[in-house]
Amino acid sequence: MTKKLASPVLVLLFLIQLFVPAQMIYEQEDALKSGRAYKFKTQPIDPSDPFRGKYIVLNYDLDSFETEEDWSMYRGNVYVYLRNDTEGYATIKTVSKTPLAITEDYVIAESNYNYGKQVNFDLPFNRFYMNESKAYDAEVSVRQAQRDTTKTCYGLVYIKNGRAVLKNVFIDNIPIQQYVEEYQAAIE
Amino acid sequence: MNSKLERQLSELLQAKVIDSETAQRISVYYHTKTDAKPNRLFTIFGVLGALLCGLGIILIIAHNWDDMPRTLKTFFAFLPMVIGQIACAFSLFKKKGATWIESSATFLILSVGATISLVSQIYNIPGNLSSFLLVWVAITAPLMYVLRSSIAVLIHLVLITWYACDLGYFFNSHTPWWYLLSLAWVIPFYIHLQKKQASSNISGILNWLLPLSLVMVLGTFTTGNSLSFIMYLALFGVLYNIGQLPFFKNQKLRRNGYTIIGSLGTVILLTILTFEWFWKEAIKDLFGEMEIVMTILLYIAGIVVLGYLHIKKHIRDFNLFQYAFLIIGILYLTRDIGSTHNLILTNIVVAALGLFAIRIGIHKSSYSILNYGLLIITALIICRFFDTNLDFVVRGMLFISVGAGFFFTNYLLLKKQRATAIRTNSKN
Repeated sequence: MTKKLASPVLVLLFLIQLFVPAQMIYEQEDALKSGRAYKFKTQPIDPSDPFRGKYIVLNYDLDSFETEEDWSMYRGNVYVYLRNDTEGYATIKTVSKTPLAITEDYVIAESNYNYGKQVNFDLPFNRFYMNESKAYDAEVSVRQAQRDTTKTCYGLVYIKNGRAVLKNVFIDNIPIQQYVEEYQAAIE
Repeated sequence: MNSKLERQLSELLQAKVIDSETAQRISVYYHTKTDAKPNRLFTIFGVLGALLCGLGIILIIAHNWDDMPRTLKTFFAFLPMVIGQIACAFSLFKKKGATWIESSATFLILSVGATISLVSQIYNIPGNLSSFLLVWVAITAPLMYVLRSSIAVLIHLVLITWYACDLGYFFNSHTPWWYLLSLAWVIPFYIHLQKKQASSNISGILNWLLPLSLVMVLGTFTTGNSLSFIMYLALFGVLYNIGQLPFFKNQKLRRNGYTIIGSLGTVILLTILTFEWFWKEAIKDLFGEMEIVMTILLYIAGIVVLGYLHIKKHIRDFNLFQYAFLIIGILYLTRDIGSTHNLILTNIVVAALGLFAIRIGIHKSSYSILNYGLLIITALIICRFFDTNLDFVVRGMLFISVGAGFFFTNYLLLKKQRATAIRTNSKN
């Protein structure tokens, strides 16, 4: 590349490099500030990412829906339309292969391995990053809590225009970080 | 000047091969040459330092500082990237040397990865590793051209290979089409580097890394049937023939990853193809469109390179390694006729490859190539040891003949080298 061209291209490249994470932040902040909150019942397990560190994978109870149409051969994205039940937990209004002209919030989920009239899907906000010393204990403590009592674990998700941001994970309304700290203090 | 050269000069002086004036001139020449060279060691340490710092930042970020407020975490997310950008701008605008350029480019690429990681972590942004790697590659790819950084090419190749393998080989695998575009992006830089700095260390590394990346990723374009073997064979044929281009062939063999990977890959695959099960399965197999297209494209590429070598008269002697992929390709197309003739012909091709390697070894007086040829024949015989109904005595005789072949051919080469040495001495 010629020296004259190198300088403006470098500056442009730097701007793109700054813009990409800034745009990511803007979209998430927008959903957190003006999106609607939903609670999704879940169970966490603990794997790890080489760059982004330890996280818990959230296995949501909402992972399938019975419809009138046949989904046997379908593989791809689906639009999952949501509403809150009387206890404030998210439930499904309907699932569609294409966007619908209804006012309910939706998320786009990946759908694989369908059979008959039941559509199965994975909600996209299934990663919650945690401090490396807490991720494994989060999995263990939640598993124990679920075995011993009727405690519920849920993810608090803000949704706006199809964009979903997982704000935090709660166990019986206690943020998971605090719950794990208490668990770690109890076993020491 | 190194002590080896000093020792050799004094030896030549003592033997009166050169006079003291010539020795002085040689010494001055090498002194000037060494001084003119940029400090390579300094560049290597600079890059290593930047690499370690960048990776260290990624690890510190991976810890996840959950006590810190979101705004502060976001500020720290951008900090390494901005430092990297300042360092790169400083290197370019102040026209700094290779050490600065390579170190700052390395640091910036890694810090961009760290920034996206941290933002993803702060906001729990979904997305698997491959999509993360792709964004990372996309916003750092122009750096190699803007800064003319060779290390940026190296990191780019590693990242796109990782992306393609992650996307193509794991659960719910998809075809990594973006890999092809990202690879094509590197090619103009690679060609320029080969023209300007063919003997540099980085060129040698890229001569290995580029074909290795292709070999690792090609499997993601197939669902794993008999055509995959032919597809890989075509790739190895292309690589071997690229390695035969005068530009690569005139370099030391250890710098020519194309020839070595192409040759080893061809031999290993063909040895697998000497088993009957392959040809029996091949008759029944059904293939996807993508595999067929990729195989055809690779065959066209192989024929184009081979044609170029012929047109430019770069092929002096017939070398079976250059044509093996075509022969097996034709056999595969005629697989419906029956498996027996394909089986026999493939065995003959492998044996012939072994003999060719022995011939090249003797011609070039290279023990490694000679014994490579013998190893090919040994491997073929070992394979037949397990799946033929040959008598034990016959198999035993075969092994003894190959063993004797090892001794005999090595002895021949040794004799040839001694005769050449004696001839050279008598001329002097």
